[in-house]
Amino acid sequence: MKNHTVTIRFTLNGEPTTVEAAADVSVLHLLREHLGLKGTKEGCGMGECGACTIVVDGRAVNACLMFAPQLDGREVLTVEGLRAEDGLHPLQQAFVDHHGVQCGFCTPGALMSAYALLQENPRAGREEIVTAISGNLCRCTGYRNMVAAIEAARDRRTDK
Amino acid sequence: MPDNCRTVGKNIARIGAVERLQGRPVFSADLSLDDALVLKVLRSGRAHAVVKDIDVGPALAVDGVVRVFTEADIPGENRMGIINRDQPLLADGRVRSSADPVALVAARSEEAAERAVAAIQVTYEDLPAVFTPDEALAPGAPAIHPDGNLLFARRIRRGDVEAAFSRCAVVVERTYRTPFIEHAYLEPDAGAGFVDDDGTLVIYASTQNPHYDLTEVTRLLGVEKWRVRIIQAATGGGFGSKLDLNVQGFIGLALYHLRQPVRMVYSREEAFLATAKRHPLEMHFTTGADEKGRLLATRVLITCNTGAYGSYGIAVTSRSAVHATGPYKIENVEIESRCVYTNHPFCGAMRGFGTPQAAIAHEGQMDLLAQRLGIDPLEIRRINALRTGSVTATGQKLSASVGIGECLQALTPHYDQARRQWRQEPSSPYIRRGVGIGCMWYGIGNTGTKNPATARVAMDREGRVTLFTGCADIGQGSSTVLTQICAEVLGLAPGDIRLVVADTGLTPNAGATSASRQTYISGNAVQTAAAKLAAALLEAAADQLQVPRASLALSNGEVITGAEKTGCVSFARLAQMLHDQGVSLEFEGFFDPPTTALDPATGQGVPYATYAFAGQLALVEVDTLTGEVRVARIVAAHDVGRAIHPENVRGQICGGVAMGLGFALMEQFVPGSTLSLKDYHIPTCADMPEIVPIIVESEEPSGPFGAKGVGEPALIPTAPAILNALADALGKRIDTLPASLESVLETSIATGHFGPREV
Repeated sequence: MKNHTVTIRFTLNGEPTTVEAAADVSVLHLLREHLGLKGTKEGCGMGECGACTIVVDGRAVNACLMFAPQLDGREVLTVEGLRAEDGLHPLQQAFVDHHGVQCGFCTPGALMSAYALLQENPRAGREEIVTAISGNLCRCTGYRNMVAAIEAARDRRTDK
Repeated sequence: MPDNCRTVGKNIARIGAVERLQGRPVFSADLSLDDALVLKVLRSGRAHAVVKDIDVGPALAVDGVVRVFTEADIPGENRMGIINRDQPLLADGRVRSSADPVALVAARSEEAAERAVAAIQVTYEDLPAVFTPDEALAPGAPAIHPDGNLLFARRIRRGDVEAAFSRCAVVVERTYRTPFIEHAYLEPDAGAGFVDDDGTLVIYASTQNPHYDLTEVTRLLGVEKWRVRIIQAATGGGFGSKLDLNVQGFIGLALYHLRQPVRMVYSREEAFLATAKRHPLEMHFTTGADEKGRLLATRVLITCNTGAYGSYGIAVTSRSAVHATGPYKIENVEIESRCVYTNHPFCGAMRGFGTPQAAIAHEGQMDLLAQRLGIDPLEIRRINALRTGSVTATGQKLSASVGIGECLQALTPHYDQARRQWRQEPSSPYIRRGVGIGCMWYGIGNTGTKNPATARVAMDREGRVTLFTGCADIGQGSSTVLTQICAEVLGLAPGDIRLVVADTGLTPNAGATSASRQTYISGNAVQTAAAKLAAALLEAAADQLQVPRASLALSNGEVITGAEKTGCVSFARLAQMLHDQGVSLEFEGFFDPPTTALDPATGQGVPYATYAFAGQLALVEVDTLTGEVRVARIVAAHDVGRAIHPENVRGQICGGVAMGLGFALMEQFVPGSTLSLKDYHIPTCADMPEIVPIIVESEEPSGPFGAKGVGEPALIPTAPAILNALADALGKRIDTLPASLESVLETSIATGHFGPREV
């Protein structure tokens, strides 16, 4: 079988990035195995669990359902790129303050969904928050503290 | 509760939370080992068969394949199981379920491993298979294991059930059924390993019990314990399923032979197929009460389908029997619970060990009795609730920390409001509202058997403290709680304590992260170890300061005299002094809850040293036209003894409610057809009700700072409360889980609710 590799140029966590990869590898595989970014998790490989959620051009997507060449020319944010100048991003800090983390496996994906939502709609209400993370399965927290954390991060942003 | 604690009872930031929010923890699948071979297992795909021949030749011919292992390659004993040892790592001439591993491939790439697995030629001779306990126990059924298909039975006898039934004003009889349930932790099972410079086989794994893994792997390999080291990698949930050896044995076998790094990551599909499930239970309950609602007698027959192997089946069976009375006083009981082998993939531990299933039955019975007697459901529970001094069905006198009454008390205002007001105001003519209560009790730790934990606390020459514990934090927060206990005893801030966790090469055995036992058992061990260090520091300081020891206290890294702090000496100074004298500042603490084995014939004994109690209230809306159920609110009152970290307790409660909601309404694993998360739905954020967690603290005198446990109790009352609320809404019970859309709609039609209410 021939191995078709393609050159993919995109912005990854703010850095211009160029990789050669087989055309049929998923973005999840590209991130984890080619680029060594293992904060993005594989929970099911079929778009059901949301553990691999990343932000592409401002939208939350399942990295397992996207082919690597589709990243060409786009801007990608993964959990490794989520930060503020002075340390934790307000969303991350809110998850600490509101005890929104238990085992932590779904956490990066849930953060990415929340980030994309608040970028698009800084005043998102509870229902929109619930909808935004309803594709991120969590078996530990019952979601309550995750929602509380996202609301707190939103309020911090809109207070400014 | 009087509170002079500085750390215990405070909501400190969870240890490891920041790292998790940055995606930094290394889960097993994230481990990068140079040139690691990929391991994959061939599974039988048939329910029951003799393995006549395994031809690995075609697999070895696949490019990139290094080795294919079969049972002949296992140097030690090819048997696993924490309670009864009946499960081979690789098929021993027979397969007993479609998930049974037959051969293990080690290859240089994922693709090569997959091709090799497909190329292995196995010749089977099929045997008759059985899938239900009835089939398995029928005369002439094929024996799945040499001693037959009845693995275990737990009997509890007390009083005279027959005589008591004749005195009852009402007797209700009912059969309740629950399905196979998948744990659905977010991290699929995984592990990796390498051989250390000194020849030690080092295995990283996603596990709830590294010290058990060590015992099992060394037995499989026939090597001494010091030859293997198990390290718990960051673990993405477990809920009981990561108590079994999932990948550890395969990794150990490959390392033993190949001496080169290997990794093994289950796909979600393999995790679904090959790891334990919650046991499906069939529960036949007959319960009687007098005209005042006092429970007089219960007769219970429970049957647990454990699939092809025991795993934790015996514990599930035993616990379902012990807890079958619910948190109520019943003097006459006749309980039998049986554990039966079938040819389904195996069942094992899952959050609650049979108690979540039993609670559905005992809480259903309470509502039926209340209805028949015209007594309020909350009232009948209050009348019968265990209290201090009550004697349980196993003959145990409860001497303290019996908080079920307080839990019911805490629910009362919410319940009254919901019954009086909320229930009467449905939002549309097609909606019916219902209110239900579920209660539970849960014995902390293993049932009538030793289950100790050891912890070690050490102070170095600079006065820095390290806590060594074998307790695996799988997300429930034990590392945070144990650090708080250690810090409290030593008068330090939690951040001053260095932690070494769940590494058989470095930490003492804490036993399993299961049975809601770690806060209570490891908590006690940590408290004892820290107290020994504190005592050594106080004694040295008394010498140093020339004051009586009783006048000294530990505070902020110093030993101080009295409240006015007339003198002080730092831990660092004392540590240096003692180290210079050759005095060790390393101390172990040990705790094993005092229990007694249950009598095999009567079940009498002291199965647990203490019990957690809880009551939950569910407010449920049913769409009578579609069968759709919306749980509007859950009020959850939990007696945890003492909340070491209240937010952690609330987090457990909310997570438990989510799992309980799934159990009640949507989750059902059907072997053979449930393949992945596509076919198995767990609650999403959009399915969740408003949750009102209420912490009740009925202090346990033998617990660390009064604490008991909450991990499993969090889940147990939710499904019973929801089912009782559904029955309240529809006027008819659903006793076979899940109460799915279809089943609710059917009930709605059967009860004549399909259509608008008459106004």
